Amino acid sequence: MKSTKWFLVTSLLIVVSMILGACGPAATPTAAPPAATEPPAGTPADTIIIGTTDAIASFDPADAYAFRDWEIIKNINDGLLKWQPGTGDQLMPSLATDMGTISEDGLTYTFTLKDGIKFGDGTDLTAQIYADSINRLLTIGPDCPNGVAGALATPYLASVTAPDAKTIVFTLKQPVAYFPQLLASATYTPANPNNFPADECLLFPEAPIYGTGPWFVSQYTQNEQIVFEPNPYYTGDLKPQVSRIIVRQFADPQTEALALQNGEIDIAWRVLGYELFGQLKGTPGIVAETIDGGSIRYLVLNHTMAPMDDPNVAKAIASAIDRDEISDTVYGGQVTPLYSMVPPGFLGAQETFDAMFASPNLDKAKEFLAASGYTEANPLQLEMWYPPEHYGAETAAWMQVIQKQLEATGAIKVTLQAQEWSTYVTALTGGESYAIGVLGWFFDYPDPSNYLEPFVYNGGLGTNVSLAKEGTDYGEPINEKAQQLVDLLNQAAVETDLTKRAELYKQVQDVYAELVVTLPLFFNPEYIVYRDYIHGSDLFSTPETLNIAGTIEFNYSTLTKTP
Amino acid sequence: MSPIALIALMIGVPAVLLLAYVFIRGSTGLRHYILTRIALTLPMVFILATLVFFVMRVLPGDPVRSALGPKGSPELIQQIRGQLGLNDPLIVQYGRFLGDMVTLDFGNSLIGGHRPIVDEMSERFPATLELVIPSSILALLIGVWGGTFAASKRKRTADYLWRIYSVVIYSLPIFWLGLIMQLVFGIQFGWLPISGRIDPIIGTTIKHITNLYAVDALITGNWAALGSVLQHLVLPTVTLGLILSGVFVRMTRINVIETLQADYIAAARARGIRERILVYGHALKNAMIPVITLIGLQVAILLAGAVLTETVFSWPGMGRYLVERISSRDYTAVQSVITVFALLVALISLAVDVIYSLVDPRVRY
Amino acid sequence: MTETKEHSPETVAEPMTWEAELQEIGLVRRIFLARRWYGADWWFVTISALMVLGFITIALFPGLFAPHDPDALVGPRFLAPGAHPDLPVLVMTVDSPVNELIDLAVPEGQPRPAVAVVQGVPTGSALNEQAQIIDDQIKNEPGGLRLRPRIDRYPSLEEALQAVVDGNALAAVVQTTEFEEIASQFPTLRTGESITGETATAGGFILGTNDIGQDVLSRLLWGTRVALIIGFSASIVALVLGVPLGLFAGFVGGSFDRLLSLVMDSLYAFPGLILAIAITAVLGPSMLNIIVAIAVLYIPTYYRIVRGQTLSVKEEVYVEAAKSIGARSLEILQKYIFPNVIPSVAIIFSVNVADAILTGAGLSFLGLGLPPTIADWGIDLARGQRFIQTAWWMITFPGLAIMLVVLAFSMMGEGLTEIFNPKLRER
Repeated sequence: MKSTKWFLVTSLLIVVSMILGACGPAATPTAAPPAATEPPAGTPADTIIIGTTDAIASFDPADAYAFRDWEIIKNINDGLLKWQPGTGDQLMPSLATDMGTISEDGLTYTFTLKDGIKFGDGTDLTAQIYADSINRLLTIGPDCPNGVAGALATPYLASVTAPDAKTIVFTLKQPVAYFPQLLASATYTPANPNNFPADECLLFPEAPIYGTGPWFVSQYTQNEQIVFEPNPYYTGDLKPQVSRIIVRQFADPQTEALALQNGEIDIAWRVLGYELFGQLKGTPGIVAETIDGGSIRYLVLNHTMAPMDDPNVAKAIASAIDRDEISDTVYGGQVTPLYSMVPPGFLGAQETFDAMFASPNLDKAKEFLAASGYTEANPLQLEMWYPPEHYGAETAAWMQVIQKQLEATGAIKVTLQAQEWSTYVTALTGGESYAIGVLGWFFDYPDPSNYLEPFVYNGGLGTNVSLAKEGTDYGEPINEKAQQLVDLLNQAAVETDLTKRAELYKQVQDVYAELVVTLPLFFNPEYIVYRDYIHGSDLFSTPETLNIAGTIEFNYSTLTKTP
Repeated sequence: MSPIALIALMIGVPAVLLLAYVFIRGSTGLRHYILTRIALTLPMVFILATLVFFVMRVLPGDPVRSALGPKGSPELIQQIRGQLGLNDPLIVQYGRFLGDMVTLDFGNSLIGGHRPIVDEMSERFPATLELVIPSSILALLIGVWGGTFAASKRKRTADYLWRIYSVVIYSLPIFWLGLIMQLVFGIQFGWLPISGRIDPIIGTTIKHITNLYAVDALITGNWAALGSVLQHLVLPTVTLGLILSGVFVRMTRINVIETLQADYIAAARARGIRERILVYGHALKNAMIPVITLIGLQVAILLAGAVLTETVFSWPGMGRYLVERISSRDYTAVQSVITVFALLVALISLAVDVIYSLVDPRVRY
Repeated sequence: MTETKEHSPETVAEPMTWEAELQEIGLVRRIFLARRWYGADWWFVTISALMVLGFITIALFPGLFAPHDPDALVGPRFLAPGAHPDLPVLVMTVDSPVNELIDLAVPEGQPRPAVAVVQGVPTGSALNEQAQIIDDQIKNEPGGLRLRPRIDRYPSLEEALQAVVDGNALAAVVQTTEFEEIASQFPTLRTGESITGETATAGGFILGTNDIGQDVLSRLLWGTRVALIIGFSASIVALVLGVPLGLFAGFVGGSFDRLLSLVMDSLYAFPGLILAIAITAVLGPSMLNIIVAIAVLYIPTYYRIVRGQTLSVKEEVYVEAAKSIGARSLEILQKYIFPNVIPSVAIIFSVNVADAILTGAGLSFLGLGLPPTIADWGIDLARGQRFIQTAWWMITFPGLAIMLVVLAFSMMGEGLTEIFNPKLRER
């Protein structure tokens, strides 16, 4: 017994001394922690802490595609163009001196760089560095692990050149009406050659990470936090107002909300659910705002699978749905009913589904059903699929409301089926397994085409209005109406005249609703909740939402703090 | 040195020393036993890891699909699957997996940042350790004291109260207890932080050495960080510790009662030794061996409890990591976590057995 | 039981009476008298057995106790326990001819009258529903009247009422008490009939309603069924597989025993919840799958105990004797070994049911268990977690329900252990 004890004590001592030995030397040179020793009663005056549940997946502009990644990249990096903070539809020059010149045929875009642009580490940004960065995107982008960012460049861009130190010339493969929108995305910001190697993707470079934007990442710990400090070489108009921003990651929204109440964070930004939003709204000292975002929810109807291959069934469902009730009973009125796949505020958006079906209209729904022989005695049996968690835990609740609404026709019997996300999305978008299910969508670039084409072209993510076919971009439309839809979309995609383009998209929406390609339900606003001592700069149009608008761009520079 | 290597050393070195000591000093029977145990442990881990590997592959989901959602075109998905090596024949993937396991490399995550699993684990594993060690200590203190006290008052009110305590504690869903702790102490009174491992501001000053923040703060003398770490530890530790203590009270009580019925205790009692000394001096001392052994085997309960506790308190540990990665079908992460868990469980039960055999000469192999 | 009685003080006092009594009295009485030996443990077992019986009754006939359909959206959302729903009432200008909903009916083809409602409260859908009912009644009557009001939504109550004042809407449908609070600001408005025809005291919910207006109590009662089905099925499946395996391994021994024990030990040692998470992830969300996942966890528990007991009983003299006079293996198993393992199996079973219910709730809490529309405590808890600050009742009651059921089963196990465990017998 005794010897054992001694043995244990000795081995413990050995281990402890080993650790001290290993770390001792490393520990000594560490500077004393900077003024961070105050008790966490609120956060320091010069620091703003933003809470989120989004994890960072990549810092590399050629690879990043997630929402949060783009937000971070756009705060440390400026592009040639940018969205006017606080607006969802106004582009303005950023690194470029103006909005650029477009050639007659719509294939060549020429931009001139502003003088004196530097990366945060002092490197000058030349036209060549910018062109190299875009060429890097074209060559290695498709091979990056996330692999999607390249898809915003390779289909459109033929080449990028830098004829002199200040001029950048883009040559497109075909006219793209929304190319300026693409240029404003994080994907088209210049990657700092000192952080990112030319020939491979680097998702997580060593901090500090410097870009051309107002901030740089001074340090980060994955799944915990990212620290931003002002870029000393930044010359733009979005000068940082505080000396540090920390983005802190939470495992779940509940904790994020509690942390905001406790004053551990200043801003809770994504992804607070409507219920937490409702809870926080009205709490003293806390401001809760909604932003009309581009995140929509809709039902996918598989037009080649029974019973959705029957147009009457699709129209009956479109007539029976009561979007207001979903909003009221599940979301406490915090989501907005959606009557077109194109959310309000986008080019050409109109509420076609409301005009066409005026739902809820049970009489009309019953007529459609009766026309196909479905009655109370012979009800339509419908299996509706949904993922239980991916679109929020409340998905089941609104699926139950939809079930109730459809069954109110008396001629539909709904069975709800839950399936785990990765299985679900494969089965639904594959277009072979589910006749009807729910999906969400968030734009890649803020343009109506991005809310219509994906649901029509090439299988249409499971709608099958145009069957996927090898060697075609659009697939094979299943009927005349579908053919008309594809033609209209193709025309609109290359039309550079805004008025004509808007008109085309209105026509598209009409045909789309008539076919009930998909059934738009509502769009989810983004919620931003913050302590009342945080303010958005009044220089921009929507200070109350900290200048986040429909493009869901968050400029950390517009934030101020008055303790 | 990477944090995970440091921690592996912290656990591994004493373990190897212990084994070596036992091996040299022990009897032939014991030596034989240890060899058999090791020979059995490794296939056990291997079987479990293999099972997880194939089971993950027959799952209908797919990490690429899961990450891209509706945005992935079939070509894109094929291309990314190719890059991740998911299009290789299963047997090739399995070979690669085995290679990774043997070299303890574990490969790269299949989602998000595609980081090496070893890096992710060297953040997650210490977090779990930092949670479970103090919880176990707390549970042990409550359990041993309560169990012994209950045993000494057998069939009296105190005994029944402690038994009711252990049953009620056992019946509490741990996540419910955690939520109520958060509400009461975090929100209502505002005494304690309710999430994370450290205050985010102070967190920037910490030096990541072992990633056990308390240890890191201690050895670098960062007292502000240490204070913050300890504050953040309180609620999760108490939650997990309380839940565990129920089981511990029960085990201690039964073992002390058993010991109290031994002949030598009866003899001592007959000699007029005071009951207090009898219970705490003699019975507890002798009951401790089986108790510690049994408690060592509760590592399974501990890890399961940790998953739920980590979820409630946003604690970035291994359990949370596993749950997250299962839903995104990150094969490499899941199989690595399960393998590590299996190794851990096997090692701890081996260690418990060996210690038991060492201190209790009655055990013969 | 007989060998215990001589240790009890009462038995020492009058051993003959007890023995005689025991011979003559019936089982019920015997159980009742047993409390004298076992004291509080007897009460533990009895109380928990009664609780278990109660829960089983509820689980068998939840419909008898539940006031509502657990899935139906029966009331307003977030109604506190015992509170009454705020009734939707028609509000119009003082001089308006409209008084009840049917007054809004107009002949087919005429413009639909506008009715103002407030976003985020259920008045809009109540209006829709009632209008539909009335419309169905009147549309075939002579006169060709239709009731299809146009519903205009306003972000706040004030704006909705102002719309009526300004004549932008013919009437508004608002919640009674909310209107009464600010009625003084709108002197030109008056209230009409409640559109649902209910009275203010109608439709309270004992335990309140949840986030979409389902009755918490009804879901709780129906949830008992789900919890017990999971608990019992998982434990029975585990028992049916584990006990024979244990008997067989213990009886046969040899390499079969060693291999099986290795597998069972590795299964046993591995964290149960984590294994269950992995299994449900593989199988997908459904009741059957969750039962399978949990059953797998408990097979080793039965296996180990039964195997151990079989090994020790096998060595007993009387079994040896039976063997030597030529009893067949099956007979020995049946006659000597099986009866000996029953008490411990019963104890494990009751503890396992408790544990299975807890594990099931844990899985649901992590979002991995059952389909999320099912009336299950774990699901409801996970759901309530999102509203912990606004609707404490959503999380409190399912949590308590889990605790009580688990408590009933584990207390029974605890009491039985104390009674049956030979190691704990007093000398």
